[in-house]
Amino acid sequence: MKLSQGKRDNFFLTLFFFSLPLIVLILLPLGKMLTGTGVDELLHCIGEAEVRNALLRSIYTSFTASAISFVFGTPLAYLLARKEFPGKRLMEGIIDLPIMIPHPVIGIAILSLAARDTLFGEILQRLSLHIMGTLTGIITVLTFVGMPFYINTAKAGFEGVSPRLEHVARSLGAGPWHSFFRITLPLAWRNMVLGTIMCMARAISEFGAVVIVAYHPMTAPVLIYERFTAYGLKYSQPVAVWLIILSLILFVLLRMVARGKIRQEGEMDA
Amino acid sequence: MFRSKIGLILVGLFLVILSPLNLLAEPHGKLIVFHAGSLTIPFKRIARQFERLYPQVEVLQESGGSTRMARLIADVGKPADVMAAADYQVIDNILRPKFANYNIRFASNQLVLCYTPRSRYADEITKDNWYKILCRKGVVWGHSDPNLDPCGYRSLMVMQLAEKFYKKPGLYKRLLANRPIKNIRPKSVELISLLQTGNMDYAWEYLSVAVQHHLRYVKLDDHINLGNYKYDPYYRQAKVKVVGKRPGKWIIKRGKSCTYGITILKNAHNPEAAIAFVAYLLSPAGGLKILKEMGQPPFIPARVPTKKMWERLPRQLKPLVEIKN
Repeated sequence: MKLSQGKRDNFFLTLFFFSLPLIVLILLPLGKMLTGTGVDELLHCIGEAEVRNALLRSIYTSFTASAISFVFGTPLAYLLARKEFPGKRLMEGIIDLPIMIPHPVIGIAILSLAARDTLFGEILQRLSLHIMGTLTGIITVLTFVGMPFYINTAKAGFEGVSPRLEHVARSLGAGPWHSFFRITLPLAWRNMVLGTIMCMARAISEFGAVVIVAYHPMTAPVLIYERFTAYGLKYSQPVAVWLIILSLILFVLLRMVARGKIRQEGEMDA
Repeated sequence: MFRSKIGLILVGLFLVILSPLNLLAEPHGKLIVFHAGSLTIPFKRIARQFERLYPQVEVLQESGGSTRMARLIADVGKPADVMAAADYQVIDNILRPKFANYNIRFASNQLVLCYTPRSRYADEITKDNWYKILCRKGVVWGHSDPNLDPCGYRSLMVMQLAEKFYKKPGLYKRLLANRPIKNIRPKSVELISLLQTGNMDYAWEYLSVAVQHHLRYVKLDDHINLGNYKYDPYYRQAKVKVVGKRPGKWIIKRGKSCTYGITILKNAHNPEAAIAFVAYLLSPAGGLKILKEMGQPPFIPARVPTKKMWERLPRQLKPLVEIKN
């Protein structure tokens, strides 16, 4: 008994030591950045309207992108989790594509869609939807890059809900809509929130594709790049620190909300 | 007999030990070259030719806005052996004297207005009416960010000079009023994708970039194109405000002909290869010839402004550089 306890300790100790390099890899550069910036600099930086606007713009566009992914990605994720259809693997591959395509290529691809002398571009113009240098353009790009993270996570959630539960609900007289909203959704909720967080996290950090589609108005990563190029590290770093702080707060809050929601539902079920 | 064998072995060993030293004499290893985005294509060809001459050297190119590249060296400590800037003043302002001893001017360029066959009024535009077309409603045109890219503030200078040259008071303001801020990009080269995807009609670029990307372009009068240093006094009339050392601080840039500068960094990891590379670049039959073919008129020979700076050049480069301000 004692021996096996020691063996287990060794096992976890080894795991711990192997995890260490990655944790250090995250903490060291970020720690250096956070400690390298004084409180004065941070306060001065957030006092600038340009910085505040860029940070708010980043949060707004990435939130909108994840909301779009949520609304349109949920049916898609459910479909992929439940139905077998020809071309399903291909479809899953296509959904993963935005993860691997180099970011500037994504930006250029979206821009070429909006070319004014093409039919599609003309339709966009008629609807006065402009892609280049607009929030619409930024949100389009962020949805493009963030969507796979939502769909894949939500899909995994739906797959984790046994279809038998839905069948039971149906046999008791619930329609497909009803059984989806009453049975599947509450059980897969956690994954859906997680997917939204990942989608938003991916979106808020995007630079390469955004800067092609819109340099002005600036999102926070673009402003960080602009500040770095124009003034050097000293003046770009505080903006980066604010972005990190805000993202951290946002994501911790989202997780807490999700946990609260799940607990509530647990109590309701009980 | 036995002894002579030992002797042979010793000689052999000696040779084996010496041979790496022989290799050392020849430039070898990795050579990191930072350069302005507008030099990407000619430098690629120059690097390939150079690697053919020195097969043991591997040239690693990294390009971007000149100011940004210089900042990467000075602020972030990114290692580089050679730095070539689209505005030689970038080297003077950011890298000298701490990171570089000298600044060799090796080529010039000029500004042109680029377009594609798809651009609005593409069949109408000439060197005399371009500014009227840029003022028309519905024409989308842009330039790069004057704070990040020398091509950006130079584009603004061209338009200021046009106001003076064509004697059209208020032209500069009218032009900018027809250019929403979203049409500004960090680097001029990035405007090309906007032209080619049909999102933009006209973009300000260097002549070299236009030639290398097979774009159509309007060539402007020497009085306003910033390409002929004989007009430097005229160019000086143009003034553009760009950001200074920190947010809220501004400096005034005055018009000047486009002059490229190159330096070898003091803390270069591979100075032998760096010297060989710059020597190849500055040789009239080598790099300078390639630059000329690609729309970037070189200075033959290259020049430094003072005798003092010339003295600081590596011995191998001195014959390739003259003293001329």
